Amino acid sequence: MRAFLSKYLRIDVTMLACMLVLVYMGVRLIQSAGGARTSAALNDLWTVHAWTAAIGFVVYAVLTVVDYRKLLDWCAGPVFAVACAMLVAVLAFGAVRYGGRRWLWFFQPSELAKLAVIVLLAHVYGRPTDEEVAPRRFGWRGGLCGLAIFGVPAALILAEPDLGTALVLVPTAFIMLLAARVWTKALVTILLTGLLVAGLMLGTVYVAERQSRPEDKARIYSRIPLKEHQLKRLRVFLFPDRDIHGDGYNLRQARISIGSGSWWGKGLGKGALKQLGYLPPAVSMNDFIFAVLAEELGFMGCLSLLLLYLGILLSGLRVAWRCQDDRGRLLAIGICTLVFSHVYVNIAMSIGLMPITGLPLPLVSAGRTFLVVIMAALGLLQSVAVHGGAEE
Amino acid sequence: MRVSAWFIVGLGCLFLFAFSVLGVTLYRLQTVKAGEFAEVETTQTTRRIGIPAQRGRILDRSGHVLADCRPSRCIVCNLEELQQRGNWSNTVNAVDAAVDALASALGLERAVTREQVARHVARASALPLTVWRDLDERTFARFAERADGFPGFELAVRAERRYPYGTLAAHVIGYTGRGRPGGDEPSVAQEAGAREAHFFEELEMKGRKGVEGFYNRYLAGFPGQRFQLVDARGFRPRKRAGKELADAAADDVAPADGLDLELTLDIDIQAELERQLADVTGAGVVLDPRDGAVLAMASAPTFDPNTCIPHLTPDVYASLTNAPAKRGQNRAISESYAPGSTFKPITALAALATGWLPDDEYDCVGVYQLGEWKLRCWDYYGHGPLNLRQALEQSCNTFFCNIGSAIGTNALIEAAHDFGLGSCTGIDIGGETPGVVPDETWKRTYYNEPWYPGDTCQMSIGQGMLLVTPLQMAVVAAALANGGTVVKPYLHKKSGAESGRRVPFSEDSIELVRQGMLDVVLHGTGKKIASGLAVTCAGKTGTAEIGKGEMRRKNTWVIAFAPFEKPTVAIAMVVERGESGGKTVAPRVNAVFSRIFGRKEGGQRL
Repeated sequence: MRAFLSKYLRIDVTMLACMLVLVYMGVRLIQSAGGARTSAALNDLWTVHAWTAAIGFVVYAVLTVVDYRKLLDWCAGPVFAVACAMLVAVLAFGAVRYGGRRWLWFFQPSELAKLAVIVLLAHVYGRPTDEEVAPRRFGWRGGLCGLAIFGVPAALILAEPDLGTALVLVPTAFIMLLAARVWTKALVTILLTGLLVAGLMLGTVYVAERQSRPEDKARIYSRIPLKEHQLKRLRVFLFPDRDIHGDGYNLRQARISIGSGSWWGKGLGKGALKQLGYLPPAVSMNDFIFAVLAEELGFMGCLSLLLLYLGILLSGLRVAWRCQDDRGRLLAIGICTLVFSHVYVNIAMSIGLMPITGLPLPLVSAGRTFLVVIMAALGLLQSVAVHGGAEE
Repeated sequence: MRVSAWFIVGLGCLFLFAFSVLGVTLYRLQTVKAGEFAEVETTQTTRRIGIPAQRGRILDRSGHVLADCRPSRCIVCNLEELQQRGNWSNTVNAVDAAVDALASALGLERAVTREQVARHVARASALPLTVWRDLDERTFARFAERADGFPGFELAVRAERRYPYGTLAAHVIGYTGRGRPGGDEPSVAQEAGAREAHFFEELEMKGRKGVEGFYNRYLAGFPGQRFQLVDARGFRPRKRAGKELADAAADDVAPADGLDLELTLDIDIQAELERQLADVTGAGVVLDPRDGAVLAMASAPTFDPNTCIPHLTPDVYASLTNAPAKRGQNRAISESYAPGSTFKPITALAALATGWLPDDEYDCVGVYQLGEWKLRCWDYYGHGPLNLRQALEQSCNTFFCNIGSAIGTNALIEAAHDFGLGSCTGIDIGGETPGVVPDETWKRTYYNEPWYPGDTCQMSIGQGMLLVTPLQMAVVAAALANGGTVVKPYLHKKSGAESGRRVPFSEDSIELVRQGMLDVVLHGTGKKIASGLAVTCAGKTGTAEIGKGEMRRKNTWVIAFAPFEKPTVAIAMVVERGESGGKTVAPRVNAVFSRIFGRKEGGQRL
């Protein structure tokens, strides 16, 4: 029993503290965002969020003391299989909300899939190897296997459709594969090609939008394989001031909210744009909660938020550094990259640095599945901190 | 180990770099450009709403109230309380249905159409919608009892214009209609430039016609403004959210109330003048010849400006504009007539200036012949030999035709211009017409005919193409009264008189003409002007024949001033389709003078 409790003495305290503060901020921001609404369900959403955080914290506490190596041995495969099965199920039976078939009741399998991919990749590429297996696991066969591990769920998620979640798997999986030095040359080539293609597409949209004649525009668009709503987002990203009452409305209102927050903000619950409904209530608690935070807590609030995330990320990487085992390192790197990608994409799209993709802000946005999943992931990270030092 | 520590360090650097990009961008947005965004935010979340200023009163010279404001009870609807989810039309339907329900509960007819409701919801939803105006006390009380059953509706008291004296001086005062109170001139709203679109105001009283129109900005004052927060759909936020956001109210600007307008009118003289014109079509102007103050100005037939409140209805508009009555027209300034013999003093002055001597005589034989063309004097047998003063007294046409022909057209035109004919007097109400002093070019343009010697002859006796307004003739009478100063008539007491312009005629000539005008009322055509008056007056009658054949009619004139030695009153009056100046108009002018100066002991009323 003493040995069991003493594990808690070895946890990373910075990471825990940062996480708790962020969860608290999330609860208060959802309370503030929901308070401006008339419906009672939205008014009380913050309590639901708080209870979910409590459940998440239990999961966190349990995972902290479980040795991640044993957990990976037992669960990596099954969890991945279950996640994929649920992704298939959601395509068949899921509830449609906000233009996507993403929910099994209150559960979003795509969020679980993010963690499942990390766990399986860490398990596959982090196990101790001997000279015989190594070339197979880290050569071209290993590379294809890695691509399949994140490619299958990504494809299923893309079919929902949920482009943002599918895309966020890409940097997470690639960073992990690169860290494990799997088929490095090919993966780097694929990555660079992908970036090139994305850049070309953006450039094409830019050129198309600068055409004065509609038929020229249509001809260029007919050559790029993007759907209308995706084109719309790229257009808003490239020309944010062009359609401020239509497609560009959300981004503009988010930017006004953020900008008008100034140094110290307007005070929690006093954000005029959110309260008066300029920042659409449908997004103010989820994808655009950062705009609410920036308006009400100002630049200082935003800076604090960034520092809190940085606290989690850097202590996560410190955990990886200290860990004496590849599985732990890969797990820590994967989880850090996942958190980082969400934070970066969410904030960058709110301030117009990236095209709008619906990604939640970890620990802060309302969204029950993702909250529990991210807390579970941080629990695994703590487990690496606790158990990763050396074999007991 | 496969996963190198350097990879982890590299990843940490990537995170740090990415976060500093976010931090720098946020710094730029939230501190460097914060003001810009705050401005945009204010623009989109606040509407500036006009607070009406109280409209000033209009007073006569001794303080009688000719126009003021009374309270008007209204029912208004606060749209945000009836706001519905979804499409705009849901809210419009809800308001529409609520108005119907309230209408049947109060037994009133609807005063706003569905279109007006829809327009208000779309454009001015931050303002309450006025559903009924000007309710009587009973309906008002009935609503007050039941208001709880109709959420969103509320009582409001607005101001409405009132003219206590009814038709008195209607043409001078004018009336108000609905408009932007600040006027269409650049106002508070435009000064704010880009934010103009966010400026709302109730349409308030806006002066139209008369001094209400001319002095609208003076009377209207400046509307104030208050700042109203609106939500994303343009409605006022409901109370719950409103409480936390109330601090925008700090920037309110109070309205600057309009000023009282004191006129030069004297309601006693005005009433008498109107009484004298009550049964005819015509106009009259009474001036103070010393400075041009308008003591009375009347046009007949007239109208009651109270019928034009709160705004002109098509019926009232028709009654104001339909010919022949044209009740709304101020004939004193916007109708022009041939002056007839009242022009002769000007002809006389022009002749004296060109070298005609006071004692030069001309033998009137009853007709003046110019080649084939003949002009008959009104005395068929002729007046015989007359000098200038006698000719004025007798108003001898052939005499004036003769001197007019002798001095030439240009001298006549110049003299007419010297007295201000042919151009507006510049009185401070709108709608003035300059009249016509014809010359060769003018006739060429409008008739495509050359100038004949007969035209000069006609002009010298105030007929033909010469056209003047009653106000211009009042100014002429005033100039003759005060010894040759053409005054600028004015109505606003505080604006004061502008120093007049002297006519270029010698004092002796003017005195001779004045003597002639004295003879007119003592022995000549204008005896009825002076009859029984307590003071001596002088004047000149005129009877202008116009039209041909069946349409032939006479417009009859008198210009006069009194007391003769030191005149304080000058008058011009015209009556359309009269018999003659001496018979039709002179008694009316006499009555006005009697009212002002009283009557001689034992003097008989006409």
